[in-house]
Amino acid sequence: MEKKLQHYRFVLLGGLLVGAFALLAFRLVDLQVWRHEELLDLAQHNTVRRVRNPARRGDILDINGTLLASSIKVKNICADPSLLGNLQAAVARAIAPVLGVDENRLCEKLLATNRTTRDGKVVPRLYVPVAQQVPVEKWEQVKEIMANFPVPELERKPHLTRAEKLFLQGLRRRAIAVDGPDDQVRQYPQGTLAAHVLGFVGRNPDTNSIDFGQLIGVEGIERTFNKKLAGASGWRVIERDCRGNEMVAWRDQDVPARDGFNVVLTIDAVVQTLLENALREGLSSSSAANITGIILRPRTGEILAMASLPDFDPNRVPHNAELRRNRAISDFYEPGSTFKIVTVAAALQEGVVALNDRVDCENGAFKFGGRTLHDAHGGHGILSVKNIITKSSNIGAAKIGLKLGERRLFDYLGEFGFGLPTGIALPAEARGLVHPIKEWSKVSIVQIPMGHGVAVTRLQMTMAMAALANEGWLMRPMLVNRLQDNSGRLITRFEPQRVRQVVSADTAREMVEALKTVVLPGGTAVQAALTNYTVAGKTGTAQKPGPGGYQAGKYIASFIGFFPADNPEVCISIVLDEPKNGYYGGVVAAPIFKQVGSAVAGYLHIPPDVGPVATNTTLSHLNLGSARTPGRLTLNDN
Amino acid sequence: MARNRKNQAVALRFGAALKAVAFCAFAGAAAVGYVWQKNQIDVLGRQIKQREIRLAELRDQNKKLRDQLAMLQSPGQLALKLQQLNLGLIQPHPGDVWKVTEPVEVATGDYTAATGAQVAQH
Repeated sequence: MEKKLQHYRFVLLGGLLVGAFALLAFRLVDLQVWRHEELLDLAQHNTVRRVRNPARRGDILDINGTLLASSIKVKNICADPSLLGNLQAAVARAIAPVLGVDENRLCEKLLATNRTTRDGKVVPRLYVPVAQQVPVEKWEQVKEIMANFPVPELERKPHLTRAEKLFLQGLRRRAIAVDGPDDQVRQYPQGTLAAHVLGFVGRNPDTNSIDFGQLIGVEGIERTFNKKLAGASGWRVIERDCRGNEMVAWRDQDVPARDGFNVVLTIDAVVQTLLENALREGLSSSSAANITGIILRPRTGEILAMASLPDFDPNRVPHNAELRRNRAISDFYEPGSTFKIVTVAAALQEGVVALNDRVDCENGAFKFGGRTLHDAHGGHGILSVKNIITKSSNIGAAKIGLKLGERRLFDYLGEFGFGLPTGIALPAEARGLVHPIKEWSKVSIVQIPMGHGVAVTRLQMTMAMAALANEGWLMRPMLVNRLQDNSGRLITRFEPQRVRQVVSADTAREMVEALKTVVLPGGTAVQAALTNYTVAGKTGTAQKPGPGGYQAGKYIASFIGFFPADNPEVCISIVLDEPKNGYYGGVVAAPIFKQVGSAVAGYLHIPPDVGPVATNTTLSHLNLGSARTPGRLTLNDN
Repeated sequence: MARNRKNQAVALRFGAALKAVAFCAFAGAAAVGYVWQKNQIDVLGRQIKQREIRLAELRDQNKKLRDQLAMLQSPGQLALKLQQLNLGLIQPHPGDVWKVTEPVEVATGDYTAATGAQVAQH
């Protein structure tokens, strides 16, 4: 009997054990097999994180390494009000001055400890944004303040309960925290310098993009080279432990970010400063609506400076689009007499005229197509072609245009690059306005040769002048010298590019001879002459067209010149829009050219070609880096 | 031949015990080794993380210093400094700048060739 009872007990116990194990096995199969996918997702959701590793946006540097645009790392700060207890006011008082936010507003934010969900439930608020784009140094200060945040009533107690310890830990470590990965802001340390060239950045508005909210170039080089500057974000798939720390051994995918490349411009910050200072003075003295300047190397097309005033500070982008527009490439205007270089060069190239041919300038009044043309600088009788340039005779240029003919004139407009973008690495470049011959009026053939009835950008006109300085070779304007990585390693070097030879070297030399006389006594730009250099250039004064024809008293005055004339190192263009105190290019633009030219020549160590210095010394160029080394040229034909 | 069964049985038990001990020791060592390795992985993981953070900090610091240097060398800053120091430095006029070429050094062996002198005949 006893044995039987024992047997039953044994069977019962065994049965219970088997049943228990069967239940456990069932649960095991349920968890590991049937609900495997669901639970795996849940587990991974709890522990696995895909962390974005943002790339640092590259810098923009001038040719000598001067920092023009840079990115600084910032953090977005948030708070968990549920961890603050009743210390909101004290915390706000402690961190508001560091973060530069209003203490009362911050306190209000921190006091909002509850929130209502969509379905009407009141739940604790665990997240409040505190401050955006806080520099790392400030965040370190905040962290330090919070790590030692005083709570006297708890600190006085000899023994803290577990809840009190957890509260202190939460308050000091997690109540104020970093929200998401590091962010970055763009900084332009030189302020307004070259603002129109650099452009500015905004935030990517595309919510579907992986780079949503990241910096994106909006204007200027920032926009053109956005992809190169932005780099490529990386990511890391990590697992966290119960404390939120990463378990490095369990790291899955780990793709490092590739920081953006640094863009090195052909711009020289010193030359840019010299140009902008001179333009600022010129704008102030002439009371013009705006003023534009370009300095480039005719042989390579490298732009050393490009400025348009009034300008803006890219650190605080203005809403006024007028200020943000780069007038040197986006605005087109009737160039006036500077355009005569195209007409005369074309006529010389075609053999229609020679430099010493004489043209009757009709004593300042020439009737054609029912209209009367006048010379701006007084009437002239018979002038040589050279003197037509010297005196800037409209009638002389018109007559040369007539000799050249519509077809050839039109062809040369295209050859010099008018009506087409120059291809500069900047957005929003205008093409200008060159009508096809069939749309020309009867007087177009006499208007266009003197720079009316055609619209060009400041850059197109400067490139045309530079082509004559460069033995007839039209160059592509070059704004970016190279791309390099963070450690300065070269990624890509951009070489100067020839577009085409628009006139022969002989024709170009003849034009230079004519253009040299413009700054001599009797020419239209005596004030542009430099003491130690032979200058070749051309003035332009054009009445501004409006809705009802040309507007009285509104002019665009310009001077474009280069020096040393026979061995040109720099070509400088100065254009004033609606100057008030005088309006002739030779009066308002030429002095600015002289001021800029003298300063730039000194800085670039351009060997003088006039006076005792030029004849008595052995001239050698100092090796001062690529921007300051004249004549460097490796060409890619285009 | 009679055999000593008692002794044989004892020998067998001792061998089995030895094997069991060895197996247990091996299993124990493997288990401890496994835990030790896991711990090492965790420790090394933490060290890697710390070094990664330090590397990022140093890179940031390096970048900040480079930017600072570039700023100090920028034309605007230099002009400002010149103004503050009032040294009276101005840009020279191009006519005031004299550029001279360095005399070309002639190697001794090439002296005769360079000067056209005759080598001594005696």
